[in-house]
Amino acid sequence: MSEITGNSVVSFNSVDKYFYLQHQKTLKELVDALFKRKRTLERIHALKNVSLTIKRGETVGVIGKNGAGKSTLLKLIAGVSSPTSGKVEVCGKVSPLIELGAGFHPELTGRENIFLNGAILGLKENYIKAKFNEIVEFSEIRKFIDIPVKYYSSGMYMRLAFSVAIFVDPEILLIDEILAVGDIAFQEKCMRKMEEFKINGVTIVFVSHSMANVEKFCSRIIYLKEGKVMWDGEVKEGIKRYMLES
Amino acid sequence: MWRHWDLIKNLTSREIKARYKQSFLGFFWIILNPFCQMLIMSFVFSKIMKVQNLGVPYPIFLYTGLLPWMFFGNSLGSSMGILVGNGSLLKKIYFPREILILSTLLAKTFDFFLASIIFLFLMIFFKVPFTGFMFLFIPIFLIQFLFIYGLSLFLSAINLFYRDVQYLFDLVLTLWFYLTPIIYSVEFFPEKYRFIFKFNPMSVFINAYRQVLLGRNWPSWSSLGIGLGVSLMVYLVAYKIFKKLEGTFADVV
Repeated sequence: MSEITGNSVVSFNSVDKYFYLQHQKTLKELVDALFKRKRTLERIHALKNVSLTIKRGETVGVIGKNGAGKSTLLKLIAGVSSPTSGKVEVCGKVSPLIELGAGFHPELTGRENIFLNGAILGLKENYIKAKFNEIVEFSEIRKFIDIPVKYYSSGMYMRLAFSVAIFVDPEILLIDEILAVGDIAFQEKCMRKMEEFKINGVTIVFVSHSMANVEKFCSRIIYLKEGKVMWDGEVKEGIKRYMLES
Repeated sequence: MWRHWDLIKNLTSREIKARYKQSFLGFFWIILNPFCQMLIMSFVFSKIMKVQNLGVPYPIFLYTGLLPWMFFGNSLGSSMGILVGNGSLLKKIYFPREILILSTLLAKTFDFFLASIIFLFLMIFFKVPFTGFMFLFIPIFLIQFLFIYGLSLFLSAINLFYRDVQYLFDLVLTLWFYLTPIIYSVEFFPEKYRFIFKFNPMSVFINAYRQVLLGRNWPSWSSLGIGLGVSLMVYLVAYKIFKKLEGTFADVV
């Protein structure tokens, strides 16, 4: 049914995702557990028969309790995890704005980390060179750009990471609760950047626990509960259902 | 893979730079470490144990085996932890995961060549003539690289599921060291047991390095052929397993 057609950029077709919670992280524990006949693997059904399509330029909010499958959904869109059954199709460059700075190396300077993180996000070196000043400008930490990031405060760290990430020129942007970056002024700057993306037709998938942000920002809501899609559509109604059940 | 060249380059230089910045002696340490090991072992084996009749002085004989071995050991050691160490990246963004392994190995290759500078000095010091056969070390190195790459892919993936595989492998590595002609030569082994060296790729590589660098001769093509066959097989099987598990890395890390 939901093949990638015309203007849809993400399509899930009866997607199920199981993963195994490994109770033993080492061979030693595994051998021990086998002797004592303990459970070694626990199967978790993270997404249950999920079918959906996201169109180009949509801003979709994903809500639900912890463990409802929100992060799993993002992982499948990002392509870092594969579905157990069903089909996930994504068309366009996905860039995740999730837990920023994952690719930073503490020993390297801010400058070096911009290039490293840019490469991880799939940017070409020439492109980063061309955008370097803008990136530093946006981050507002030019003074510290040549010292190792291990000396950065967590606020500075996030600012730098965010600044690199927004220069990716994404087609599909995945956001996982990152709007707690830096101080209020910087947060507002980030929000404005997001709005800009929205206007420019970037598809945005936004995971959040803040109903206020979701309501302000999104044009559609997907409400997940225990791996199932409970609501997919109008924002106010989705939030209402979520609030009623929790 | 070439599409990701910028990423490979950046991750490789991250490895190299970060270590350079972390250790007090920086790049010098990379040279000093194998050199000191060579000095100590040379003293023990040529002065105390009196290993003789190798055709070349013991220190250079040893170093020709020690360098490829350290490249092997260090590469596996680092790449086994690389997936676990980059867990937060694995959970967020997709790029072919073997890039992490490849760039670790490239960083170790850098070390290997840096440490090889000492080897050239040893050749001059012990008056071992330079010949055209020396350049044959390149194909030997490439086969060795393939072998290490294959093993690293396999072990790094397994280590993600069971984190103590790393420690288990340290033990295997120690045993492997003594079953490889690094501190001794194949001829020291009783003839009827020498066949084991044929099936130990590390032994094949080290013998071949010695043949082209110190023996100034062609390597044994039949042994090198088996080495290449084993390496290719290890690589293909490991790559298949790695790619099969790749979709679950983000779930277990």
